This record gives sequence, structure tokens and C-alpha cells, in this order.
Amino acid sequence: MLPDLGHAAIVAGLALSVYATVAFVIAARRRDSAMLASARRAVYVSCGLAALAAAAMVVLLLTHDFSVLYVARNNATTTPPFFSVISLWAALEGSILFWTLLLTGWASLVIWRNRHRHAVLLPWAGATLAAISTFFFAVMTWPGNPFTRVTPVATEGPGPNALLQNHPFMALHPPLLYLGYTGLAVPFAFGVAALITRRTDEEWLGIVRRWTLIPWIFLTLGITAGAWWSYAVLGWGGYWGWDPVENAALLPWLTATAFIHSSMVAERRGSLRIWTSALVIATFTLTLLGTFLTRSGVIESVHSFTESAIGPWFLAAIAISLTGSLGLLVWRLPDLVGSERPAAAVSRESAFLFNNVLFLGITFGVLFGTLYPLAVQAVSGDTVSVGAPWFNLVNAPLFLLLLFLMGVGPALPWGAASWGSIRDRLGLPVIAGVVGVVIALAAGMRGPAPLATIGFALFVVTILGDELIRGTRSRARSRGEAPPLAAWRLATRNRRRYGGYLVHAGICVMAVAIAISATQGQDATATLRPGQTMQVGGYTLTYQRLVQGPLPDDPQVMETRAEVAFSGRQSGRLATALRNYPSSTTPIATPSVQTSLGEDLYVTLQSYDPATSTVTLHVLVNPLVVWIWIGGAVVGIGAVFAIWPDRRRVAVAVRAPASDAPEGTRVRRPEPMPEAAATAVRVEEA
Amino acid sequence: MRALRWLLVPIVVVPVVLLLLHGFSRDPAAIPSALIGKPMPSFSLVTLDGRTVTAVKLRGRPVVLNFWASWCPSCVDEHAALLDAAQRYGTSVLIVGVLYQDTPDGARSFEARYGEPSWPTLLDPNGSLAIDFGVSGPPESYVIDANGIVRYKQFGPLTEQVIADQVGRMLGSATAGRGD
Repeated sequence: MLPDLGHAAIVAGLALSVYATVAFVIAARRRDSAMLASARRAVYVSCGLAALAAAAMVVLLLTHDFSVLYVARNNATTTPPFFSVISLWAALEGSILFWTLLLTGWASLVIWRNRHRHAVLLPWAGATLAAISTFFFAVMTWPGNPFTRVTPVATEGPGPNALLQNHPFMALHPPLLYLGYTGLAVPFAFGVAALITRRTDEEWLGIVRRWTLIPWIFLTLGITAGAWWSYAVLGWGGYWGWDPVENAALLPWLTATAFIHSSMVAERRGSLRIWTSALVIATFTLTLLGTFLTRSGVIESVHSFTESAIGPWFLAAIAISLTGSLGLLVWRLPDLVGSERPAAAVSRESAFLFNNVLFLGITFGVLFGTLYPLAVQAVSGDTVSVGAPWFNLVNAPLFLLLLFLMGVGPALPWGAASWGSIRDRLGLPVIAGVVGVVIALAAGMRGPAPLATIGFALFVVTILGDELIRGTRSRARSRGEAPPLAAWRLATRNRRRYGGYLVHAGICVMAVAIAISATQGQDATATLRPGQTMQVGGYTLTYQRLVQGPLPDDPQVMETRAEVAFSGRQSGRLATALRNYPSSTTPIATPSVQTSLGEDLYVTLQSYDPATSTVTLHVLVNPLVVWIWIGGAVVGIGAVFAIWPDRRRVAVAVRAPASDAPEGTRVRRPEPMPEAAATAVRVEEA
Repeated sequence: MRALRWLLVPIVVVPVVLLLLHGFSRDPAAIPSALIGKPMPSFSLVTLDGRTVTAVKLRGRPVVLNFWASWCPSCVDEHAALLDAAQRYGTSVLIVGVLYQDTPDGARSFEARYGEPSWPTLLDPNGSLAIDFGVSGPPESYVIDANGIVRYKQFGPLTEQVIADQVGRMLGSATAGRGD
């Protein structure tokens, strides 16, 4: 009954998505508003149907209905409700269902928000989004049906993948990533619409600015949460391993970040249009590629879902979307060139351009390393793998240059910079960076990469702080406000700029934390009998006893815990465990992480001998790791600050931004921009 | 010149698609086994009906070593294929089941329900044999030749076709060897 309902919802969703695609195109060509309204409703209903199917699956999981293959493979009668619910995205078919729900959700939201606006762009964007939904509904109708039945019905199942039930973070990391991935279909759809309708001016960029930043925030937080999950669960003491699937999430993030930056130049200066359109196409294609890599079994990875017949479907989708969108780009090339104005060599435009070149360089590096094993096998038949050291070697210098640019960019004016202003802006930050490096050297830190990271990060943060102080002073002076109030008003009246600065500051925090934790940690492994001690990085650990027993909330799972007392800069007792899940041969480690602001004490139980109670412990002292997560949160807060709706906007929209008056006097838009663009963008934002 | 820029599309799309397409042509059992071409790990385990089986005892005939569990849905289809193979190849091939993360009671009720096998099922209570073979999850099977060398790994359920290909080839080459 319920599986039939779910399947029927999917088939109906497919039919409605096909209808919506066709209806949007007809509405666009005939300018038929009744048809347009009908197409919009079809999208809303397809989202409702996806929600219905997802709800049916959740109920099937909660009731352990093993007549459905997906449930039989990913659930057990003893699985706790929480893990039953999140099993919706724990394996292939369910994750595609969840994905479709989010995609149709984004599509409905953006279409609903713009239902009275953009009469020209919206139908084509709607058609693109509905076509993408059609693909996902079709995958669920044919090769990846989540409601496939199985007879005879088993009485017990293996439970979810052991790694997924080990940590509540699994409830957070995939939905955040999927929200990011699926949301990036929106800027793609508007990019396609702009190319089709030849409205490649600032209009679509104005629409998608926020619709890119929101998925970008989700993607950023999803990647950070994934790194945190990997750190807290996998027991190797690291958080990023350049695994193909990690790379698959990073690739669209890189191009989306490049797009966010280049679209600012395109919006403001009318230049970089081809580039910006190409980036939005690349971002969407990379999200498809990421899905393909994760779900087709083509590339070996810890994340890979079991392989299935959906691989060829995704490959076809990649081929079609790449051919279609590139063809469109080539077709409209004459419209896109022409408004380019050469930028001065030292200006904010050129900083943005270098930023994009670097992001693209990193994208190519990561893509090359990810696909290289496949290419080598195709050409010579050899099996090779590209390891983390290669990725670090290739990407570290590019990331360092990006870090440097992050400071230089905001310090340079639009147009052309004079030497005097550069000296004035960069003098203090350079000194701050050099002093930071000297202090780090004196503290015993070695190695060019971490030292350069510290130097550049201090350089950037000083510039950002300097910008804030200058703006605050000028506002406090002209308005007679107290400095804290002036700073707050300055930031909230210029959300985009100061939100962006906060994002950059968060990235600096993350960069320093990554550079130091990756290079300055200490670790040791020891086999201990009860009562014995080991020492690592200023900590003394005393192994006390071994405890075995089933988990209270899931008796199928056996846990073996080593209880350890530790003392040093932190002290207390901890328990680090190995768990045996019925669905996994290898025991899953549950490392104990004792976090402080300065460092983490990270203890993994590697093996044990129940006869003698002997344990082998791997202990790491990882400096500053917590700052990676804090930095990630700052990035998220900064981006949310940047896109937070400004209620004063509507009232002020009529007032034209008259001059380059000091910041804060113009409420709506902090930075001078061409009159036409300002009007175009303003209308979108209400 | 105008026409030439259309070349951009195939220049980008074709290599990407070809490269990814190549991914499919790889062995679908994506996780390679380090054991192929090496002797099977030694063991001594007890069967469901209480007999002891060791690796050495399995020499002399091709062996299909099948890791399975009663809670594994695709093991049901596979069981039918194995019953069929047992009948077809008789004593020329030895099928050996290994119970994976399951209880003897579960295994017995499975066999009562889907057909009593003519072959033994080994109990592997600590999962040590599964670890030695590097099993990632049931069903997973290994085809071992008469000299105890691991020749093939099946990731996922065995089908009649796979058994016919792997075992048939081994029996064929054994006959050819004798003919020489």
C-alpha cells in the first residue's frame, strides 16, 4: 500500500515535471500567462509529490517494512528511530529521492518568489529547473526505484551502514551538502534563461546573487560538517583526505565561489560576462559529476554507494547538459563580448580576475587528480592512485596566493590604484604579517607553508580590520555616532561588503588552523596493559580497564571500550571504543576527542585482546582543530549577514545613489555602480 | 572562424564523456581483491552440523566459497543459483557457505525456507575468515582452483552465468590439462 503510494507519487511527479517543462517553454514562446501559471502550479505539485514519496519512505523505514528492498538493505528491527529516519539519505535510492525533494523545493521557492517578476527570464529558468526535476524523477521511475519490492520478505535486516549510525552528524552533513548541490541548479537555470533570451546583462546576475549565496552557504557548511564528521568518526585523526567524493563536493564549491566573485565584476562593470556564464555552467555540471562519481561506482572511495544502473543515466545527463549549455554559450557569444572594458593592471577588477584564475587553477588541479586514475587506466591499463601529498603540493601554493589576494582585493580601489594609496593601505598589514611570521619562527614553527599561511592571514585580517576602522571613523565623524554604533550601522548598511569581509576573516581563521594542525601535531601509538601509562605531547595517559557490552539503544551493536585517565593541559577520564555492527566486518572506531581552544587530545582504540585486556591506543595531539569549525561557522555567519534582507531597502529604493559620498550615507547600495544596473538590481530584491 | 567556435562544444564534451564512459568498462566488482592468484587463507572452522573443515581439506576440486547471511535479501536469489549449480556440477565442484554476521538459528530457518543445501555452511563467529578474505558485505564469493589458489572474486550475488563462466572454465582447463 504505502510503497505503491510512494511509487505512484514519483510517476505522477515525473509526468508533472515533463508537463511543466513543456508548458514553461510554450508560455515563454507565446507569452501566455495562463500557461505560465499552470506550469508554476505543476512545479509546486511535483514538490508536494516528492515530499509525499519521501514521507512514505520514512514511514516504511520507521516501521521496518522489509518488503521494500531499500528498507531491507538499510534497516533492522533494532535500528533506533533517529537512524531509521536519516536512512532516507544513507543509501543510493533514498538519497536520490531526498535530492529530488530538495531540488523541487528550491525550484518551487524560486518560482514562487519571482511569480510576479521577470516575465521574460522566469519561464525559461522554470523550464530548465523542471527539466532537471524530470531527470531525477525518471531515475527514480526506472533504474533507481526506491520502492522496489522484495519477496519473500525477510524478518530482519542488516541495519544502516555502520559508519552512518555512528555519529549524529550524519543527520547534518548530507542534507547540508544536498541543499547546496541542488540549490546550485537555480543560478544555472537563470544563466541558461539569460542566454536563451539574450538578456545577458545584469538582470539575471541580480536575481541569482542571493540564490547562489544561499546554496553556497549550505555547501560550505556541508563540506565543513563532513570534515568534522570524518574527524569525529573515522578515527584517523584527520579531517580531509582528498578522497574523490570530498573532491566532488569541493569542485562545485570552488567554481561557485569563483562565480560569486566574478559576478560582482560582471554586475558592476558589465565585463567578464562569458566567463561568468561559463562558471555557472561549470558549477552545475560539476554537481552532476560529483553525483555521478559518488553513485556509479566508477571511482573507488570510502563514500561510494553500492553501484547501480543509474551510472549511464547520470553520464547521459552530464553529456546533455554540457552539450546544451556550452552550445548555448557559443551561440550567444556575440552578445556576450563587446561590453568588456580593459581593467587597469593594479585595480580591484584585476584582483578579482586573478582570484578567478586561481580558483580555476585549483579546480583543474583537483579535477585532474580525481580523474587521473581513470585516465591512466583508460590509456595504459595501469592502476594508479593520486594521494593527499600530491593534492597538497599542487594546491597549497594556489591557496596561499588566494589568501594573499583576499587581503589585496579589498584594499585596492575599483578602476585604477595609485602607488600612494597602495602604500597607505598595505603598509601596516605587511608589517603585521611579517611580525606574525617572526613570532611563529621564534615559537619554533618551521616549514614555508604554515609560516606563509600565518603571515598572509595576519596581513588579510589587518586589512579587513583597517577597512572597518576607517569606515567607522568616517561615519562616527560625519554622523556624530559613538564608534560601536557607527560600526554596527556601517556594517548593516553595507551588508554585502562587511558580510564578505567576515567570510574572509573566517577563511583566514580556518587557513591558519588547517596549516598548524596539519603540520604541528604530535602522535604516538602504544600497546598497554591495565595500569600502564604512555606520554605524548605533554599529556600522560593511564589505561585503566576494558569494558564490553551491547549499546543500550541498539543491542545488535557490541561495544568494546578502553577507559583511560589523562592529565596535562587538560585532564580527566575518557573512553575510546570499537563497535561491531552486524552490517560491517571491520569494527568501527569511536575515537574520543577532548577538545580545548588550544588543542584536541584525540584517542583511538586500534585493537584489543579480551583475554589479557591489553589495548593498542593511537593518541594524537592536534593543535587548533576546533578553530577550523569555528572559522567555518564564522564563514557561514558572514555569508548570512551579507544576504540578510534589508527592510529599509524598499523605502529607499526610489532614492537614487547620487554620489560617491562616504559609506553609510547611501542606505541601499554601498558601492558606486552604473545607474542602469542599480535600478535593475534594486527591483529584484524586495 | 565563426563556424570553428562550435568545435568548442565537442572538444569539451567528447573527452569528458569518453573518460567517464571508460569507467563503466572496468570490472564491475570495483573493489579488487589482493588474494587473486594467491593461496587462500588457511582456516579451521566448524559447520552448521558440527563437522570441522580446514582449508587443506578443500584441495583437489574447484571451490566456490560463498559468504552469506539470512538477513541479506540478495542472498535469496543467489541461493537458488547455488542450488542449481550444486545439481549441475555434482561432486566435481565443492560449494562451501560461510555464515557472515549471523546466528546458526537464522541460517537454519533460511535453509529450511529456501531449500536445504547439499553443501556445508561454515560458522565464522568472530568474522575472522571474512576478515582474512577482506569481505565487505554479503553476498560475496570466491572461486578457488583445485590447488587452493584464489582465482575469482564475486562482489554481490552469484548468478548461474557467473558460476558457469568461472567454474566451467576451471573444469574445462582441468580436463584439458589432463588430456595433455
